Amino acid sequence: MSSHFQLIWSLMRGHRLRYGFALACLLAATLLNYGVPLVGSVTIDFAVGGREPGPGTSAPMRWLLGLLGGGDHLRENLWLAAVAMVLLSAVGGVFSYLKGWQASLASDGIARRLKEELYDHLNHLPARHHDRTDTGDLVQRCTSDVETTRLFLASQVMDIGNAVILAGTALPLMLALHVPMTLVSFALIGPLVVYGYVYFRQVRHVFKQVDEAEGLLTGVVQENLTGIRVVRAFARHDHERAKFAGPNALYRDRALRMLRLMSWYWSVSDFVALGQLGLTLLVGAWWVATGELTVGVLFAFLAYLGIMLWPVRMMGRILTDLGKATVALGRIHEILGVAREPDPPADPALTAAPLAGRITVRDLHFHHAASDLPADGRGALNGVSFDVRPGETLAILGPSGAGKSTLMHLLLRLYDYRHGSIRLDDRELSSLPRQWVRRQIGVVMQEPFLFSKSLRDNLRLGRGGAPDQEIEHAARAACIHDTILTFEHGYETVIGERGITLSGGQRQRVAIARAVLKEAPVLILDDALSAVDAETETVIIDALRARRGRSTTLVIAHRLATLAHADRILVLDHGRIIQSGTHAELAARDGLYRRLWQIQTSVETDFQKELRAPA
Amino acid sequence: MPAPFHQEDDFKARLDAGLWWKLLRRAFHLKRYLIPLFLAALVLAVCDASFALITRWVIDGVVRDGTGANFTLYAAVYFAVTFVLCACVWLFIWLAGNISNRLAHDIRRDGFDRLQQLEFAFFDTRPVGWLITRLTGDCDRLARTIGWGFLDIVWGLSLVVMIAVSLLVLNWRLGLIILAVVPPLALVSRYFQKKLLFSARDIRKYNSQITAAYNESIQGVRTTKTLVREAGNLAEFQTLSSRMFAAAVLNARQNAVYYPIVITLGSLAAGLALWRGGWLAAHDQISLGTLVAFVNFAGMFFNPINQLAQRLTEIQAAQAAGERVMGLLETEPAIKDRPAVLARGAAGNPARIDTIEFRNVTFRYGTGPVVLENFNLTVQPGQTIALVGPSGGGKSTIVSLVCRFYEPVAGEILINGTDYRELPLGWLQAQLGIVLQTPHLFKGTVRENIRYGRLTATDAEIETAARMVNAHDFILQLEQGYDTPVGEGGNRLSTGQRQLVSFARALLADPQIFVMDEATSSIDTGTEQLIQQGMANMLAGRISFVIAHRLSTIRRADRILVITGGKIEESGTHEELLRHRGHYHELYTNQFRREREEAVLESGG
Repeated sequence: MSSHFQLIWSLMRGHRLRYGFALACLLAATLLNYGVPLVGSVTIDFAVGGREPGPGTSAPMRWLLGLLGGGDHLRENLWLAAVAMVLLSAVGGVFSYLKGWQASLASDGIARRLKEELYDHLNHLPARHHDRTDTGDLVQRCTSDVETTRLFLASQVMDIGNAVILAGTALPLMLALHVPMTLVSFALIGPLVVYGYVYFRQVRHVFKQVDEAEGLLTGVVQENLTGIRVVRAFARHDHERAKFAGPNALYRDRALRMLRLMSWYWSVSDFVALGQLGLTLLVGAWWVATGELTVGVLFAFLAYLGIMLWPVRMMGRILTDLGKATVALGRIHEILGVAREPDPPADPALTAAPLAGRITVRDLHFHHAASDLPADGRGALNGVSFDVRPGETLAILGPSGAGKSTLMHLLLRLYDYRHGSIRLDDRELSSLPRQWVRRQIGVVMQEPFLFSKSLRDNLRLGRGGAPDQEIEHAARAACIHDTILTFEHGYETVIGERGITLSGGQRQRVAIARAVLKEAPVLILDDALSAVDAETETVIIDALRARRGRSTTLVIAHRLATLAHADRILVLDHGRIIQSGTHAELAARDGLYRRLWQIQTSVETDFQKELRAPA
Repeated sequence: MPAPFHQEDDFKARLDAGLWWKLLRRAFHLKRYLIPLFLAALVLAVCDASFALITRWVIDGVVRDGTGANFTLYAAVYFAVTFVLCACVWLFIWLAGNISNRLAHDIRRDGFDRLQQLEFAFFDTRPVGWLITRLTGDCDRLARTIGWGFLDIVWGLSLVVMIAVSLLVLNWRLGLIILAVVPPLALVSRYFQKKLLFSARDIRKYNSQITAAYNESIQGVRTTKTLVREAGNLAEFQTLSSRMFAAAVLNARQNAVYYPIVITLGSLAAGLALWRGGWLAAHDQISLGTLVAFVNFAGMFFNPINQLAQRLTEIQAAQAAGERVMGLLETEPAIKDRPAVLARGAAGNPARIDTIEFRNVTFRYGTGPVVLENFNLTVQPGQTIALVGPSGGGKSTIVSLVCRFYEPVAGEILINGTDYRELPLGWLQAQLGIVLQTPHLFKGTVRENIRYGRLTATDAEIETAARMVNAHDFILQLEQGYDTPVGEGGNRLSTGQRQLVSFARALLADPQIFVMDEATSSIDTGTEQLIQQGMANMLAGRISFVIAHRLSTIRRADRILVITGGKIEESGTHEELLRHRGHYHELYTNQFRREREEAVLESGG
């Protein structure tokens, strides 16, 4: 438990003074609020009731009476009581406002800092970590758990502070007024707190059941709606209705069960609270009758009870919610505890000179799962060596799972290799800062990710501050300019959930434009044209070729049209290079590349065969 | 395409009485809850108000009679009222809860029913997430507003009236002075409740944007890294989190101002009572107990008026949700049986389909461009029609029209010479077997998914269907055979496996017409062969329309239609079209090359 408090205490850093100030304001507001009934009490007893302060009159009342000029003066100037009441309320209100404001600045400030820390941390976690985690779970932690923590900081910390202040101030005040009456007034408070605590602990699982039922219901609706075309195709309306009826009724019935519990809690809790008020009233009235107590003091006791009963009734809930907050904080710290992608500080000597774009790969091994190489050589890469000259275009060909994408990810330092070597202009990749490396490489993935911003902003991510003219130039090179102009808002069209949906081919072309705009020394196209039709593909390749000499280009492709334009071709299979050479060399040698190339020429002959043969 | 996905709740300045009346009427059948609830709210208000009166009575009695006062009677009355009040609280929560949950259940059921009847066009423009929110969040919110809101209003109004009456009866002059505080209290409450509603809505809005930002940053983390966008992303996120921070602090400050103001107003009323009432009491014109009652009553206005203001604001805020839900419930399906067809019943439905004919069919989606114009086609049983051509050319439109998911804008589609709009929709759909391009499977086992084709099918029939389409063997190799769960949307199976299961499902329905949109994604050669054989078994002897992408499918068709620009550009058998050397020849060449390349790549080095 003490570690929880340490966690919360360290969370509050930078805002602790603010919390202290808020609590001081709360104390001031509470004390001033006590004054209001006391004014009533003094007025009723000494001004209206015509009593004289006797030995039984408590110190606070004497003090207040003196402040208001004594009983006789007050009787002649009753407006003083009214003004005192309003003033006490108003000044108390100012403190209460300051408390609310400062507490919000503190708690929402902490929540904001926590969210930003999480966001930045997630962006800096290694790709390997993201491979393993579930997006929904991460988002849940960053939103719901932060919200639970914020609620705790905003209301529960203040509520507990309030309770402590109430207990620390009301009790002495009431004891000062009348000791036996105080004991009577607190008779049922303890049971009320315990009842609330036990109740809220008990209903937690019912709350959970209701949540589960709601989740089930949402799940059924979602299943039905995503499959609505299948439902219609088989005309299964009645079946679906019947399927929905169960969860719908279950949700209703569970919610009703919770309501039944709620109705018992609130009515019993009301009964105890009102019982406490009644006990105070009747015992107090008896003591008024025996002369032990004045009407004014009884009035004050009833008013104080009124102030205290609500926080007392909420205490049980606050105590149970405490547990939730510590769980949420624990979940948040699980994320923040994962180490960021290590990135040693840049050695200026290594990164000062511009990159020519030479890539040298030697005996590169990589395995995704295990920390060390498996002996059987079944890694994603098993000893790959090749060179790429500055400005050269290298095509990489191979069946899926051959290790093509892994190679690209290693070049981008998304993963770290342990065996073998990759050099960029004779500088070992692993000694270069990640961000610097990534700035040198423009990349387009097979399923490129675009952000939900305007097309212009998406393209500009390639090079911040690029003028509109260059953005359009890049878009033209990627054959997407004309398509963009057909959208209603042109380059300002927002894409993604809040805007329009692009087709796979359009997304690929936007990503190519983005990479072209980057003007990096190295360009990687990882099957980046798979959804683009053959004709457009040729145009784009030509445009990229026109830029040749500026970037070293690595292309993963399946189509011959793309491959044939490369200076050299590598054929990769099972993490090994099985063939390499120019188009002419490979076409002359037996192997995968030649078989692929032969299709091109054999299609027409096969056609003729097919037409002659019976279908 | 309208995208009403991010529509925020609008605060409606004007209450749409008609809408709320319609919604309230849906609660009328719950009158066994509604009437007691109404009474409970009234009694509750009376009890709440009577505590100040009891206090007055006790104090006056004690001051007058001293220890001779009837304490037993006081205790009895006090605890009797307490008991009634607590019983009312119990009833209030229980009954309002019943109304709101039962109402939500019923609206949800009706909404769900309606969604099952609506035509495809309805779903084209509405994302699934948007519809789910209508059936979950909106329904609950509406029902809550009706269940709790209206009854809180009854309670609040009665309590205010009760207090006012008590004050006026006790001493009307003093009563009027205190009542003067009520109008400003009401105005202040209403003003702040509105402000609070707006700032709370801003918080929710920014919160959902922040959630979306997290989602995006996690999904796009590789892109962020390769573009070295970490710092830029954070800066954008900070703008968002700062906005949320500002909205949250504003909301907290509004709350922090609101409560002191109304409490000070309460003190003002109490102070007035003390000043004027104190004078009256000092001059023995009212009793000490009455003075205490006045001071107590003065502080009691806040709660009911705050509740009234809050509920009224909530009702206004929920109105948009009400409009959306009622809009859904009142949407009439555009495609449904005509009255004449309904009147006729099952008699006259053809037992066998001999021909399907498109006669001068023209079609457009909504107000969009014409996608099919003067289209003509006749198909007989046993014929497989392959539809090929570029996407957007009108292939899927033809298929959707056959299924009557849409109806022709002009022209007609005839079944055995009768316009299909003269035949029952249910009958037509019972004759249809449909396989979609991306086969959707439901969460559940393989067996359950196949059985979806015919709910009464036995396990043996399911296996027979699976055998026919070559799915049986791979199913047996799954961990739990036919009882293997397929996961959400079928994602635990490969695309090819999902395809085979969807074939079995369609075959089990034993339809007269088959409609199929062939998958485009590449499938390994082994599965591809299984699929081809399975398809051949499935299509035999039926009328079938296939949107074809694979060559083997196209080649086997009896007739190939090349559809471009909403018209049949070329039509004939594979050989005829190939000899023609037109568009088909070009398509075919490309596809042929692509399939071969895939095959070579897959075979590896």
